[in-house]
Amino acid sequence: MKYKFIAFGFSGIIILVGILNFTAGKGINYGVDFTGGTLIRLKFKYPVAVAELRQSLSDIGLGTSRIQEIEKGQREYIIRTAQVVGEEIEQEIEAHEIIGNRVIEALRGTDENAAVEQGLKDLNSIDGREVTALLQNVFPDEASEMARKIISFRVNKGIIEDYAQLQDLGISQEAIDYLKDNTFLSRLTVLSKETVGPQIGQDLRRRALQATIWALIGMLIYIGLRFKFAFGISAVLTLAHDVLVTLTIFSISGREMNLPVIAAILTIVGYSLNDTIVVFDRVRDNLKAMRKYGFQEILDSSINQTLSRTVITSGTTLLTVLALFLFGGEVINDFAFTMIIGVIVGTYSSIYQSCSWLFLWKKIFKPKKGLGR
Amino acid sequence: MRKGLRWKIILVAAVILLSLFLSYPPGEKINLGLDLEGGMHLVFQVVTDDAINIETDQEITRLQDQLKRKNIEYEMISKGELGKFSIQKFNPDQEGQLRGILDDYFKEWNYSIIGSNVNLSLRPNVAQYIRDQSVNQAKETIQNRVDQFGVAEPVIQRQGLGGERIIVELPGVDNPERVMNIIKTTALLEWKLVKAGPAPDTETLLQEFGGKVPEDMEVLKGDPKRTEGGYYLVSRVAPITGQDLRTARQSTDEWNNPAVGFSLKSEGGRRFEKFTAENLGKPLSIILDGRVQSVATIEDVIPAATGGIIRGRFTYEEVDDLVLILKAGALPATIKTLEERTIGPSLGADSIRKGFSSMVMALALVLIFMVFYYRLSGFNAITALLLNIIILVGALSYFKATLTLPGIAGIILTIGMAVDANVLVFERIREELSLGKSVLSSIATGFSRAFRTILDANVTTIVAAIFLFQFGTGPIRGFAITLIIGITASVFTAVFVSRLIFEIILSKRKRREKLSI
Repeated sequence: MKYKFIAFGFSGIIILVGILNFTAGKGINYGVDFTGGTLIRLKFKYPVAVAELRQSLSDIGLGTSRIQEIEKGQREYIIRTAQVVGEEIEQEIEAHEIIGNRVIEALRGTDENAAVEQGLKDLNSIDGREVTALLQNVFPDEASEMARKIISFRVNKGIIEDYAQLQDLGISQEAIDYLKDNTFLSRLTVLSKETVGPQIGQDLRRRALQATIWALIGMLIYIGLRFKFAFGISAVLTLAHDVLVTLTIFSISGREMNLPVIAAILTIVGYSLNDTIVVFDRVRDNLKAMRKYGFQEILDSSINQTLSRTVITSGTTLLTVLALFLFGGEVINDFAFTMIIGVIVGTYSSIYQSCSWLFLWKKIFKPKKGLGR
Repeated sequence: MRKGLRWKIILVAAVILLSLFLSYPPGEKINLGLDLEGGMHLVFQVVTDDAINIETDQEITRLQDQLKRKNIEYEMISKGELGKFSIQKFNPDQEGQLRGILDDYFKEWNYSIIGSNVNLSLRPNVAQYIRDQSVNQAKETIQNRVDQFGVAEPVIQRQGLGGERIIVELPGVDNPERVMNIIKTTALLEWKLVKAGPAPDTETLLQEFGGKVPEDMEVLKGDPKRTEGGYYLVSRVAPITGQDLRTARQSTDEWNNPAVGFSLKSEGGRRFEKFTAENLGKPLSIILDGRVQSVATIEDVIPAATGGIIRGRFTYEEVDDLVLILKAGALPATIKTLEERTIGPSLGADSIRKGFSSMVMALALVLIFMVFYYRLSGFNAITALLLNIIILVGALSYFKATLTLPGIAGIILTIGMAVDANVLVFERIREELSLGKSVLSSIATGFSRAFRTILDANVTTIVAAIFLFQFGTGPIRGFAITLIIGITASVFTAVFVSRLIFEIILSKRKRREKLSI
């Protein structure tokens, strides 16, 4: 409790930085889920430098697109096309789609687009049905089995780099030669393509905000039922603090706000309260058990008694989130990052913030009946 | 062994067996979400205004018929805003008759007579009904098309009650462009006479008409994929439309190019026969969704039973798709794409691999930590944790929940949070032990005093997860569900099972003074 003003000051500064960043600075970097736009995930057969991608995109007037490398090796990229400013909202998503296709075409390169023009099929993008249909012309009996092998190999590897790779699958040289004559291997494959219209984005922002606020109100009601009102208010203030600090650190990190990140923030609302409740529960017990002591002492010893538990559970949760952050892959990375911040902030706040609010409440409002129940 | 203990053991064993039974074999029982399996997630908005417009047009035609039959004189009928039209300058002497027609045959319309004009507007409840129906019809049409295309286990549903949005989820589809074409084509097929064109621009097109589009004609563009492009001037009325089709099938034209063959229903066929007889030698266009597909000269009278072909530089694949669409029927209104997410199967496979490896890592880290910190009691917590995961998987299978990548994250998070309850109890027991109480009573007080805290702490997380479920779609819901089940199960395993384990250990031991915690 000694450090409460330092803690308030520290958190205050972070939140202030956050508010400054949201209003005057670059603010939160909203992802495609919220702004609308197209996000394309690509994998190349061989390493391609960012500069080359940038150049290809500049050539079609999309040089401002965001290019992000996933995993070292310059083979996997996420490309987020710059926002289209369309006059009619209704036409925008079609525009996004067209732009997405142009990006893929541009990165494919002229040779391959020429191959497509000639009627050759890209073995790195056609589906199993088409592969079967193609092989059936020459190998009617084995076609579907061969197609299944090829597709499952492609699914595993992401992209077929060379026809020679098919030999290891037990596909006959004749079949490979036939495929060589009738297909080509594009230098890239589209792992995913997500196009979101602006209406969905607006909708989502509204719903995300609503869900967060309702969750906070839900918490307030539950704690109000189980504890005295002062506890509820203190807990919700602590939660709001956690959300704000997490958002601040998140916005400074420059990561993109997307759906899983919102999920992480809502989870933090629940998780951080978990910690706070354990402390408050002890305060409630101690208010009865330590009647002779002063309020501040009761708070202090409650924090100390629960300290090891708070640190241990946060520790285990942090371990799991860390595992997710390090090994979970790119798709879930922003989520894991937000959870890590949230768990740390939540632990800090339940130790340094929650009881301080309770203390301030008592000091300002001087409830007659006390805070025990 | 005490009797109560035996029943508790049987209960826990039953839960384990049930969970294992429910989740076996895991490959079949747990559905993978689109983000893990690969596939398409689409959100469409049905432009229900279109349906209102079509309804208005049909009603105007019906009214014109009625007015003609009753010989009511009027200058013209003009369409106003959405769902509104007016009869201009009718003969005031016939007001009574006119009112009669409107009262008897146009009950869906509110009307007001101002001077010699009648303004009609569609009743709001009728309009609402038409909008609602059009969304349902659109949903059915999409369902038909998807079924014919052949997608395993598609999900097609309206978003919310009375919403105008349709969510389509197609697992395993990896040819997004083709699917989008099939779903989105309105498939309004019309045959219309060509009056002029093709011309490179509208000015050249309208030269012989004095630069103005005549009242009974309209300007349409040629489909750039099927024709030379450019503009066509065609008649406004279509003698036959897609509604007159009986069947459509793959076919070829006289040069063996792919084409769509069709036959007409009897009434449409007769109309077509009469129409071709009246218009011999004139060019006839086939129009799909307002784009001219092809133009052919009517060289012969086409008998009612023959049908014909739709020609237009198709590939075989395009013919297949068009046949499919025509068979499945036209959409009642245009649909707009709001969201389109295509996840390739290899990204999903990658996510599964990474999700599971981080799950194993998380589990290993927590196990090591618990044993290191709580010694033998750590094994107790671990048993509870493993049981928790078994129950979680069993429950997910039972509820036929869909496993998504955030769902896997939810399981991982549960691993971290489930030990929380154990930690709360163990810490309490340690405290009691340090106060010098006996092992047995420490355990008893530890569990009973920690229970309230565990309940409060977990209920709040569940409340947050419920709001998350409300807010989210697909993947996020998967996360919320795993979290809810995982946390609920953790209360059972950490409080009930852990305690049981302590009791079993202690009941077997003679010396009860020490507890490795």
